[in-house]
Amino acid sequence: MPVHILLIDDDANIRASLGMVLRQEGYTVSEAGSGEEALNSFHLHPADVVLVDLMLPGVDGFEVTRQLRRSSDVPVIVVSARTDTHDIVAGLEAGADDYLTKPVMAKELSARIRALMRRAMSTSREGPVICVGDLEIRPDAGTVHRGGVELALTRTEFRLLCELASRPGSVMDRPQLLNRVWGYDYFGDTRLVDVHIGRLRAKVERDPSRPEVVVTVRGLGYKLQGL
Amino acid sequence: MSGARRFGLRARATASFAAGAALLSVALAAASFGLAHHYLLAQREASATTETYQDARLVRRDLLFGVGLRVEDVLSSFTVPQGTVLFVYQRGKWYSASVAIGEAAGTSRPVALPEALVSMVVGGQPARQRVMSGGQPAIAVGVPLGTEGADYFEVHSLRELARTLDLLAVVLAACAAATTLGGLLIGRWLSGRLVRPLNATAEVAAAIAGGALDKRLPVDGDPDLAVLAHSFNDMVEALAERMRRDARFASDVSHELRSPLTTVQASVELLAGCRPRLDAQGQRALDLLSGEVGRFSTMVQELLEISRSDAGALGLDLEELALADLVANTVAAWSGERVPVAVPPAAANVWVAADRRRFQRALVNVLENARTYGGGPVGVGVAVDGAWARVSVDDAGPGVAPGEREVVFERFYRGAVAGRRGDASGTGLGLSLVREHMRAHGGDVAVTERPGGGARFVLSLPVLHLDGPGTTGER
Repeated sequence: MPVHILLIDDDANIRASLGMVLRQEGYTVSEAGSGEEALNSFHLHPADVVLVDLMLPGVDGFEVTRQLRRSSDVPVIVVSARTDTHDIVAGLEAGADDYLTKPVMAKELSARIRALMRRAMSTSREGPVICVGDLEIRPDAGTVHRGGVELALTRTEFRLLCELASRPGSVMDRPQLLNRVWGYDYFGDTRLVDVHIGRLRAKVERDPSRPEVVVTVRGLGYKLQGL
Repeated sequence: MSGARRFGLRARATASFAAGAALLSVALAAASFGLAHHYLLAQREASATTETYQDARLVRRDLLFGVGLRVEDVLSSFTVPQGTVLFVYQRGKWYSASVAIGEAAGTSRPVALPEALVSMVVGGQPARQRVMSGGQPAIAVGVPLGTEGADYFEVHSLRELARTLDLLAVVLAACAAATTLGGLLIGRWLSGRLVRPLNATAEVAAAIAGGALDKRLPVDGDPDLAVLAHSFNDMVEALAERMRRDARFASDVSHELRSPLTTVQASVELLAGCRPRLDAQGQRALDLLSGEVGRFSTMVQELLEISRSDAGALGLDLEELALADLVANTVAAWSGERVPVAVPPAAANVWVAADRRRFQRALVNVLENARTYGGGPVGVGVAVDGAWARVSVDDAGPGVAPGEREVVFERFYRGAVAGRRGDASGTGLGLSLVREHMRAHGGDVAVTERPGGGARFVLSLPVLHLDGPGTTGER
C-alpha cells in the first residue's frame, strides 16, 4: 500500500510542483490550500505523513500541527520559507517531527519522509521490556508505562527514548541522535534534538525542570540515567 | 597642525583657567603691593617729619633757654630710638647723637646727609629726602632752628618698613601662586565636569558602533545637554530604523523568493527526470537551468543569512565542542571529494565554544570556495597557536594575490579572478559569510599562501580548554 501524504501550502504552484515530485517518488498525495481544508481532509482520509507550511491564511501551520497532534501521532514535517530560530523552534514545539526550509530539494524531501516512515514502522519488531528507573519501555508494542499508566509519546519521542535506552548510562551526542532517529548526516540541525528532548522530558520526568531520567552531559550530549 | 588640535579640550580649559587666575592674582598682588608701599612710606615720612619738628622744638628751647648748656649736652639728653640719628649744625660744626655713632662733633658733613638737603636747610628751608644710611634705606629731615645759627637734622631708618614690605611681597606672591594653583584645579575639575557628559556620549557612541543599537543617552539630566542628547538619540534612532529597514528588506526579499524558487526547483528536478527524452539542445538548456537554479537557491539562502547577521538576528548557539572531531566529521560529510584532515597530537584535544551550525557553514563555505576557485581542497589541518585554535584549508589553485587577501572577504567581490568566474558556481557571498560566522565566535578568517603554491584559508577560534569536556552530572 502506497504511503499517503497530505501536502498543505497556500501556494498552488508549490502544491502542484511538489505534488508531482512526490507522486513521481511513488507516494499518493492529497493537497490542501488552507488550515481548515487540511484538518477536514485529514479527518476524512488520514495521511501517513503531513507536510505543512507555517504561513497559511486563517488557521496557520502552527495551529494545524497542534490540532493534528491532539488526536494523532502522524509524522509532521514543516516545510517553510521561515528560517528564524524562533519559527523553527515554535514549529517543533507545536509538535512537528522535522522541518525543511524552502526551497526544498526533491531528494532531501523524500529522504526525510523515508526516515520518518522507517521509524514509524520499525516499532513492530519483537523486543524485551526495557526498565529505566520506574519507566517500562516496550519497543515491540511502542509503549512506555510508568506505574502502570501508559505515557502518550509521539513516535519520534518514543524512538528517541528507545535510542537512549538502547545503551543506558552511556552518552549519545546530538549528531549521533540526529543520525539514528532522524536519519540525518552530520549537517542536521541540533535544535531538532534539543526540542524533542524537551518534549520527551515533559512527559517522562517527574519534574521536567530538574531532569532525573534524560540527563544532559555538558559538552557531550544526552544519556538515560538508569536507577 | 594647530595648537588647538594638539591639546585636548580639557587641557585647554584647564590652562585657560590657570592663566586667568595667574593674571588676575598677579595684577591684584602688584596693585596691593604698590598701594601698601605708597601708603606705608607716606605714613613713615609724615611721622618722621612730625618727630623731627617736635625734637627740633625741644632742641631750640634748650639752646635758647638752657643756660650754659652746650649742644652736646642738649643732644645727649635725648632718648634716641633705635635706628634714628640726630644732628645739629651750628657755626660750621656738626654735632650728632646716636646709639651707633655716639656723641661726636666734627666739621665735616655726615655722610648720611646729602649736600643738597643741608644747603637747603642752611638756606632757611625745611627739607626732606630719602637717603642710604649705613647701607640701609632711610629718610633724612632737616629743620632750620632760626636761632643761634643752628639747624636740626634727623635721619630715620626705614629698615623696619623695608622688612615689612618684603614680608608683604612674599605673602602676596604666595597668595598669587596659590590662586593660580586654585584656578588650575578649579579649571581641571570644572572642565572634567563639563566633559563628563561628552565621555558618556562617547561611550554610548562606541557601544552603538559596536552593534548595540538599542543604546541611548539619558535625556533627563542637564537641560543644557538635553538638546545634544535628544539630537544624538534621534540620529541613532533614525540610523537604527534605516538599518532595520535595510535588513528587513533583504530578509523579506529572500523570503519572498523562496516560494517561487521552491516551485522552480521542484519543476527543474522533474524535468531532470525527463532528461533522456530531450534532444541535445534541450539537455544543454536543462543543464544550464539546473546549475543556475542551484546557484540562485544558494544565493538566496546566503543573502538571507547575511541580512539576518546584519540585523543581529542570527544568534549564537554555543556548545562545547571537540574541534578535531567537528572538523573531521564536517569534512567527511561534505559533498565534495575526500580531503585528508591532519590533526597533530597537540591539537587532538582542543575544545572550543562554537555554534555547530554556523561553524560548519563557515568551514563548508571555505571548502566550497576551494572547490570553485582553487582547484579543490588538498588538505585540512587543525592546530593550536597559544590561545587560538586554527583550522586551515589548503587548495591547489593559483593562490590569492597579497593585495586581494582582505577584499576577497567582501560581499560580491569580483577581482582579478573575475575572468575565471564565467563558468563558476560561486555566489560572491560565501567568504563574507565565513567572516561573519567566525567574527560572531570572537575569531576570524584570513588567507595566506600555502607552502608550495595555492591558497591557505585559516579559520581562528579562541581555545576553550585543552583537555576533556567539562561535564556536569555523572560521567
